[in-house]
Amino acid sequence: MKPLRLLTIVAALSLSACASNPTSPYDPYEPFNRSMYNFNTTLDRNVIKPAAEGYRTVTPKPFRTAVGNFYGNLKDVFSVLNNTLRAEPEKALNDLMRVSINSTFGLFGLIDIATPAGLVKNRTTLGDTFASWGWKNSNYLMLPFFGPSTVRDGSGLGISLSIPGPEKLIYDTLPQAAGFYGLYGVNERERLLGVEKQIDESSLDAYTFTRDAYMHMRAKQTGAVLPQDMDEENIDIDDLVGEPQASAPVAVPPPPKP
Amino acid sequence: MKKLLLTTLFLLGLSTQAIAADTPLALIQDTSAQVLELLKKDDGKNTARIRTQVETFVIPKFDFTRMTALAVGRGWRDATPEQKDALAREFQTMLVRTYSGTMTRFKNASVNIKPNVTLNNEGREATVKSEITTGSNNGNGSKPVNVDYVLYKTAQGWKVFNVSVEGASLVTVYRNQFSDEIRKNGLDGLIRALQDKNAKLARGASA
Repeated sequence: MKPLRLLTIVAALSLSACASNPTSPYDPYEPFNRSMYNFNTTLDRNVIKPAAEGYRTVTPKPFRTAVGNFYGNLKDVFSVLNNTLRAEPEKALNDLMRVSINSTFGLFGLIDIATPAGLVKNRTTLGDTFASWGWKNSNYLMLPFFGPSTVRDGSGLGISLSIPGPEKLIYDTLPQAAGFYGLYGVNERERLLGVEKQIDESSLDAYTFTRDAYMHMRAKQTGAVLPQDMDEENIDIDDLVGEPQASAPVAVPPPPKP
Repeated sequence: MKKLLLTTLFLLGLSTQAIAADTPLALIQDTSAQVLELLKKDDGKNTARIRTQVETFVIPKFDFTRMTALAVGRGWRDATPEQKDALAREFQTMLVRTYSGTMTRFKNASVNIKPNVTLNNEGREATVKSEITTGSNNGNGSKPVNVDYVLYKTAQGWKVFNVSVEGASLVTVYRNQFSDEIRKNGLDGLIRALQDKNAKLARGASA
């Protein structure tokens, strides 16, 4: 229930930011996204990153792997559902086998024995389901806590978090839920320690760098074509580096989306 | 007769190798094999030396001017030769400095280069696909990462001018950052921004 309400607020805020002048065709909510990015960065620097570093110091690696496997097993449950919705019976069956094996022989998912047994991880989210139903292109959306996303994937996440899932069997009260998601967040962040430094060093603008890398990776996963890529195809590299041709065709950029 | 046959086979082997070294696939295969070989020699104490060795070996396989031109996009046409030189030089410095810092992480990596190369632009451009699995196995398993290299044919053989990781290419990831900077402060502004970045990275490395 809560994430859905949050999402409504996010959506409302994003729309109000619409009026400004975007620099990227897939980021019309840039002002909102940038402020959310700054919020996440500040939160990360002051709370999440130190927590993840402390977590790394006090826990042995096998423990963290087990925690990751446990949450991964819950994600596999959603993956069964989503692959069914996408009409991918083979993948759905694969995921169902994964959950069955890992929940039993893998001690409630703490050990991932399905992967070495040859059952590949093809974790599918509701966002992927929406994409395979035809919602291919979706604008960039920076979510609080969760980070880079799209309107499509953020909606999928909001719905997945609010429907009754297997994780609701684990926690009852609000503090329990906070502990559940807190451990998940810290465990995930631990794996990504150092990435923030890498992004900082290799970019002129960390926000744009993160956005463009994310959007291109996601486009490849979902089979979307980003509006900018069509423009890029009009640039002839040989023309750009070679001798300027007398009658070089002038590429007309497509009109910006309203 | 047997000797003749052996000699022929030997020569055949030599010639196919000579041809092979001139294809995009062979270039990527040889380069990654040798880089992995070099990285294996890293014992924690000689990291800086290994890094320099890999850099001197890998850099000539790239065409940074073409890469920079593509990342700068339309603005490249308006740049003077001096601006072009400065842009390519600073971009190369930044890429080499930031990405070579991560190379020791690939010490135990295994690289699977796909034999089917996609040719474009009347055979002058080629895309070589590969899957890299890093040795570290954590919660998410060692899922292979898709890395594609885009090469083009020059008088000096094939050169890499773009690399993409999981569908996000270097060129596209930098294009918006570059065009934002050019829009705000012009080409010289972009050169300055890259210089500042490199100066900051150099200070960080020596500190």
